[in-house]
Amino acid sequence: MPADKSPEPESDERVVLSFELRREIDQIIGGNHHNYCYQCGACVAQCPAARFSDRFNPRLIMLDLLLGRADKLLAADSPIWLCTNCYSCYERCPQDVRPVEVIIALKNLAGRKGVAPDSVSLLTRNILKTGYSGVVTPVVHKTREKLGLDPLPEPPVDEMLELLDSGSDERDASAGPREEKTRERSHGETPAGNASQRRKK
Amino acid sequence: MKLAPFLGCMIPIKYPQMEAAFRRSMPNLGVELVDLEGFTCCPDPIYFKARDALGWLTIAARNLSIAEEAGLPLVTLCSGCTATLKEARFLLGEDEELRARVNERLARIGREYRGTASVEHAVVVIRDEIGMDAVRESVKRPLEGMSVAIHYGCHLLKPSQIMHVDDADYPSILEDLVTAVGATPVAHQEELLCCGKGCLDDEMPVEMVYSIFSSIRNSEADCMGLICPTCFSSFDLGQIVVGRKKGVKFEIPIIYFFQLLGLAQGLPLEDVGLHLHKVKADDIVARLPSPA
Ligand code: SF4
Ligand code: SF4
Repeated sequence: MPADKSPEPESDERVVLSFELRREIDQIIGGNHHNYCYQCGACVAQCPAARFSDRFNPRLIMLDLLLGRADKLLAADSPIWLCTNCYSCYERCPQDVRPVEVIIALKNLAGRKGVAPDSVSLLTRNILKTGYSGVVTPVVHKTREKLGLDPLPEPPVDEMLELLDSGSDERDASAGPREEKTRERSHGETPAGNASQRRKK
Repeated sequence: MKLAPFLGCMIPIKYPQMEAAFRRSMPNLGVELVDLEGFTCCPDPIYFKARDALGWLTIAARNLSIAEEAGLPLVTLCSGCTATLKEARFLLGEDEELRARVNERLARIGREYRGTASVEHAVVVIRDEIGMDAVRESVKRPLEGMSVAIHYGCHLLKPSQIMHVDDADYPSILEDLVTAVGATPVAHQEELLCCGKGCLDDEMPVEMVYSIFSSIRNSEADCMGLICPTCFSSFDLGQIVVGRKKGVKFEIPIIYFFQLLGLAQGLPLEDVGLHLHKVKADDIVARLPSPA
């Protein structure tokens, strides 16, 4: 048999289809493009995470999503964190599935469930505290001065915080948007124009 | 031409030399930079978006609304800012319901997103608005004999249906710019590989950086040219760390495009901040002809 990375259900393991995860992802993304994945693997071809890690394959992530395997995708050691966010899969997918957006939505869900890695929360917290993603140390000011640059502007953090959901969990960066209505996105300039036409309401 | 720079976070905080090079080289292309007040982080298209997608979109819309109010085109210096702001524009443009939800939130601070301000990375503005001729005319010291391995990074080009910058598989914008400043672009096997910064793994980014630098070393380029501070953060110190792990020594200076432009316009090495980089470019700069 040729090597195939497809997960064969073990003989005594029944795969139970669940729509719960898909529904949650639909809400975050505002569409259900992912339902159109036909498992062709085009997204794998140029995926750097698949090239450099045996643990990662965007096609299998899509399959697990369609099967509703939240236990795998939202586990602490989920492969989603290996994705480099390079958008090659978005570029390649003939079905306009946008796997990277699905992975980002899964990361949002992981954040809500409190299983996102610390570095993600740390960066978000920096931004919400100072308006900058990085930490501003005295060295920063000195380097800028030496280069003849103006002092660093102070971003209006309060204004920015006003924009986050008043449900306080977004303010402390521990949650994504809630209660969002599922909607399909229309879009004119997709490479898979026909596929997206089909999906338009 | 008047442009409002959107500097983002990484450049002004971590790599202000990139800001200095940009601010010093753009006026030589006939550009007046108009700094607007009130920007925040774009916000970050990887982590912040992975944490709170709608918050991410709304904060981006707020930043865009500042340029709308001023009636000026935004020009970005970082591929990440470009990705966030252009994607926000795309999403808000294609989906009225989503725009309404974002505007509901913006109304809390008396702002509105209308979609009237354009946003592009500075290299795209140069190619499409300012023109390569203006670049060539600004050059006082062509970077003759300098071979530059291009690193595109991901977010300038992809997804192409949003970015509309170049062919994502066969791009030429950076080659053209490097040529315009008199240097020689060098093709190499991994020039389109991601820098690996978005990956939360200890091993994988090491292998990716190693692959890229092995490929550049084979190409015998003098340095790497890029346009993204995130990629830079993987590569400058990164090549030293990765080299140590792999038992090889890479010494490939990483030069931001506006530093190349500044050098070609005759600015001294310190003015474009190259002395702040871990891997020094002194040798290759010393080989350049003196400014005319
Ligand atoms: S390229 Fe698209 S349709 Fe094919 S497997 Fe990947 S996500 Fe599914
Ligand atoms: S965005 Fe993630 S899944 Fe898509 S090709 Fe890049 S690394 Fe792979």
